[in-house]
Amino acid sequence: MTAVQERHEEPTKSAEEQRLEAAARKEKQLKWFWRIMGYITVLGVWEFAIADILGLATGRTLDENLLPGPLRIVETFPDIVASGRFFTSFGATLTRIGVGFGIALILGTAIGLLTQIKWFENFFRDFQTVGLTAPGLVWALVGLIIWGFKPMGWIFPIVMVTFALVSVNIAEGVRSLPKDLIDMAKAFGTPQLRRQREIVIPHLAPFIFTAIRFGFSIGWKVTVLTEVFSSNEGIGFEMRVASQLFRLDEFFTWVLSFFVFALFLEKVVLQYFERRFFHWRQEVATA
Amino acid sequence: MTAVTEKVPERPPVKGTEDSGLLRFVKKPIVARLLFPTLVIALWVFVDSLEISRVFPAPDRVLGFMWDELRLETLARTNLYETLGISLLRLFAGFAVSMVVGTAIGLGMGLSKSVDAFFHDWVMAILAMPALVWALFLGLVFGFGSTGPVLATILAGIPFVIINVREGVRNTPRELFDMASAFDVPRNRMTRHLLIPSLMPFMFAAARYGFSVGWKGLVLAEVFASDRGMGWMIKFWYDAHRSFAVVGYAFFFVIFAFFLEKFVFDKLYARAFKWRPAVGAIELVEEEIQESFIDALDPEGAQTLPDRDRLGDN
Repeated sequence: MTAVQERHEEPTKSAEEQRLEAAARKEKQLKWFWRIMGYITVLGVWEFAIADILGLATGRTLDENLLPGPLRIVETFPDIVASGRFFTSFGATLTRIGVGFGIALILGTAIGLLTQIKWFENFFRDFQTVGLTAPGLVWALVGLIIWGFKPMGWIFPIVMVTFALVSVNIAEGVRSLPKDLIDMAKAFGTPQLRRQREIVIPHLAPFIFTAIRFGFSIGWKVTVLTEVFSSNEGIGFEMRVASQLFRLDEFFTWVLSFFVFALFLEKVVLQYFERRFFHWRQEVATA
Repeated sequence: MTAVTEKVPERPPVKGTEDSGLLRFVKKPIVARLLFPTLVIALWVFVDSLEISRVFPAPDRVLGFMWDELRLETLARTNLYETLGISLLRLFAGFAVSMVVGTAIGLGMGLSKSVDAFFHDWVMAILAMPALVWALFLGLVFGFGSTGPVLATILAGIPFVIINVREGVRNTPRELFDMASAFDVPRNRMTRHLLIPSLMPFMFAAARYGFSVGWKGLVLAEVFASDRGMGWMIKFWYDAHRSFAVVGYAFFFVIFAFFLEKFVFDKLYARAFKWRPAVGAIELVEEEIQESFIDALDPEGAQTLPDRDRLGDN
């Protein structure tokens, strides 16, 4: 009796599995279908209909110079690369992001580590709040008016906008420090510096990485913004020139090429390093 | 928990202290908090006294400008209150649209996987797009009116609303819905007593983010795509080469954003979740237990616990 049942159970179980698998496959197909439909709809509306819709809304005719479709943008891309400004602009903007965000990262990490001491948490609290709430525009204009086109004119706004994000993220990690480990280290008379290096920093590492990704996503936007006001090279500068000349095809090509590049850095490169870095740490890798 | 007993060996006991009066004064939390702005102002005054540059915004002129603006004495075409009114009207219009449309799309994305697949990548793309792009583009398309700034507010805020509402729908307690339908609870009561309360925290987060991001997007759009409003005003003073006025307006910005966060949203939050003491209470109870526990272990350490309001802050 039991043997028969067992033999019967085996095929039914696999049938159930097959059914689940088929359902999962179907769901995946459906998901991809709708995803592609989404792309087709948005790109189609953008290419063929958005100019008419906006034209009706504004009461003006919008030709394709004022509102280029995706095809036109793809066509413009080689022209921009051929103009020779493509790589210098990318290089200039990336250098600014590197310098500005690098300083912000060091400053933010230092402040975040200092919040282990309550006094410094209070000391820096308003600095962080102001950094988080004030729009980047304010810092860009203030930096520009004080330093002009000097490097501090663009370093200052980038640092002011991104350091608070970094320090707040790291302070978040400081709050979840393993107190028992620190207490034990203290009980065994481990010096402060070693405690910081071997308990605090490893614990904070995932938070630092989150801070980098988060900060970078804000940082490149501020950098482009400062370039609009206080630069004569870089993506922001090219955007401003293109929009002032009403060359929206070039404008969108500059924007979208850098947009795609920044997203690639943020989602692929940084995440790859994060995963590799935390390879050895189960709980972080799975989280 | 913060590294509570940091530097305990060096730290003198708090009660019955042997500290000198000055050291004890400096160690007070409120002094630590006020010390930073004081140092910044001191540095500002010091740099100003060096007289390195004529355009450097002097503290007294900035304050004078702010005082004049508050008393309605201005050289610009709208005074501070009118400017703020124009911007707020645009902000509320854009915010309302992005809340309504965003909630609709977010609900759809949370309830149906197909709708989610349809919108997901484009919502993420709009989320990652700098507000500057909308500002420049909308300025060219719509000219210098209110349409550009309002649309910029919507485009900046709507992805946050969509994502938060979608997460809210996904986090609704499924077993409660199952139970409600097992007991034949009518649909509208289910919506009112189950769906809306469980969505509330997410809607609130959506509103908060949508508002603050929308405000930043609006200001930027006003610089490039408007001839009125807060953003335009700061550009106006910049073009007029009045650095003290730019810094003065920057202070108005910060004060306004700060006021919005601390007084409007924190108060609203407290009100909206008054009926729900459970969450906060449990956390508080835990905090208290830990506090008394730490208190028993080492009396000084208890002083360095992070206070409650800070945790919910960012």
